[in-house]
Amino acid sequence: MKKILVIFQKEILDNMRDYRSWVTGVFWALFGPLLLGGMIMLLGNSIRENVDEALVLPVSGAENAPNLIAFLEQQDVVIKPAPADPESAVIAGDINVALIIPSDYGENFSAGETAKVQLVFDSTRQSAMVDINRAQNLLEGYSKYIGLLRLSLRGVSPEVMQVVQIEEVDTATPQSQALIFLSMLPYFIIFAIFNGASPVITDATAGERERGSLEPLLINPLPRGWVAIGKMISAVPFATFNLIITLAGFATIFRILPMEELLGVQVGFSIGALTSVFLICLPIVFLACAIQTLIASFAKTTKEAGTYLPFIGLIPSLPGLALAFLPVKPELWTMLIPTFGQQILINQFLRSEPILAVNIIVSAVLTILLSIIVTYVAIKLYEGERIITGR
Amino acid sequence: MIQVQGLSKSFGKVKAVQDVSFSAPDGQITGLLGPNGAGKSTTLRMLYTLLKPESGSAQIDGFDVRQSPLEVQSRIGVLADARGLYSRLTSRENIRYFGRLHGLSGEALENKINSLIVLLDMQSIADRKTEGFSTGEKLKVAIARTLVHDPQNVLLDEPTNGLDVMSTRAMRQFILRLREEGKCVLFTSHIMQEVAALCDQIVIISQGTVTANGSPDDLRKQTGKENLEDAFVAVIGSEEGLV
Repeated sequence: MKKILVIFQKEILDNMRDYRSWVTGVFWALFGPLLLGGMIMLLGNSIRENVDEALVLPVSGAENAPNLIAFLEQQDVVIKPAPADPESAVIAGDINVALIIPSDYGENFSAGETAKVQLVFDSTRQSAMVDINRAQNLLEGYSKYIGLLRLSLRGVSPEVMQVVQIEEVDTATPQSQALIFLSMLPYFIIFAIFNGASPVITDATAGERERGSLEPLLINPLPRGWVAIGKMISAVPFATFNLIITLAGFATIFRILPMEELLGVQVGFSIGALTSVFLICLPIVFLACAIQTLIASFAKTTKEAGTYLPFIGLIPSLPGLALAFLPVKPELWTMLIPTFGQQILINQFLRSEPILAVNIIVSAVLTILLSIIVTYVAIKLYEGERIITGR
Repeated sequence: MIQVQGLSKSFGKVKAVQDVSFSAPDGQITGLLGPNGAGKSTTLRMLYTLLKPESGSAQIDGFDVRQSPLEVQSRIGVLADARGLYSRLTSRENIRYFGRLHGLSGEALENKINSLIVLLDMQSIADRKTEGFSTGEKLKVAIARTLVHDPQNVLLDEPTNGLDVMSTRAMRQFILRLREEGKCVLFTSHIMQEVAALCDQIVIISQGTVTANGSPDDLRKQTGKENLEDAFVAVIGSEEGLV
């Protein structure tokens, strides 16, 4: 068993000297925090700016509805003439929204008929949503206001119009809105773990075969399974290092960025939460090393291994990406799926929800169990002849 | 001491080695001679436990390659065709790695490494990373690595492949020194002159089977040819693969 340590020490020394590879791995670890930080900053800024600033509304045919324009101006809307072709201006992204008042507006309005106006916008443009909603609300407000006035003039109580009154009780705290962003966090964490392990594993398995050093290595008097295990665990420190860097990166981002100003919420990522997330992710480190050792051992060259491994890292992190949009309850069955359970648990930590100890244990045990099975298959692969002949 | 009886191995439909038998005693140099693709390397690979024989058996110092591979591995030193050094490690670290995998450690290992470095005259490259080493320099590191555990049986696969004249000479001297030390030396080659100059015993393999076996004199007598090269051609039945 001491010889596993010999393999381990050699791979660590060898790969530490290959600093370009592991520095690239560390870059992947910082990729998540930087991307998420950037997104929060951009979106936070656009939300803030839109609320603070007055709505600028390009209007075409303003002279057709002086009363409406006066109403809008009273509501602090800055009216300016619309471009000649409002639709293409919206498509080009020059303006967020435009109001078109047709020439027959005044006629219909005076006749007490429904007067049409056109609001031009692109509902898929996220950054324009605030302007669009404000313009819509103001126009509906005006329509309602005039409607009520007309009813009053005819001696009808305005309440006739209001059959149902909606009182909105929104249980989403500002924090849980911000958590839509944070739901992507497990995805980046798992990605970082896999990318920390892959350069080391590629070099120690496919690289060994490519250099022609695998044959001399396997002639040494130690069970071949130990070679596989030594190589696998030599990637563990690198993957763990990447995990720590990623978590530290997220903690730093949340501390540096004025989250309260940007998103209107405080994000807690305390040392305690960090440690818990770290411990929850630790079984994934072993799984990442085991799976990648197995896959890379099948590859004949490092180039071939390099085409497989990014996919392997992507598959377990995909459910995490989906979690951002489709919330899943932390039921026991979800804990049976390695990496998926952990992603739900991390999300729970970020939402400060109560967490069942049994869920943590089940997800850890299942993940480690799968790692052991995969390691066993890798050992069997090393014991066979395929590893030598490549056939 | 290496004994081989009826060794066979095929890859798919290709019968690489069929019923190969010979023995290589201690204190002698045994050469496996044959054209390219004759099955020399496959035979050697079965002897050093990398491939499993389909039938037949082979013993190194009495230990069977299939039943007790670890015993066999600790009694052989192998210089494979691919040197396979770790380019980010120094010569010394490369040698030390294999020494430790053979269970050596501490001062005993360091002393052994130092004496090999002196023996092979590689002091100037001992603590340099092996990246960019010349073929001869790489060979020295590979030899030191092969001998770090002082094996009784030394297996060399095409040891002079790609070497210049000086290195080839040094390699030959080295093989002769191993014999003086009483080791069992088995090497493969497709170069007639080399085998003729070094070997006490020649095993000629052609198309996976042993076609002749004996000392250079025996072979000359058997075939009735004066020249060993002619004897070789007579034995394998063609000039195919001769360099």
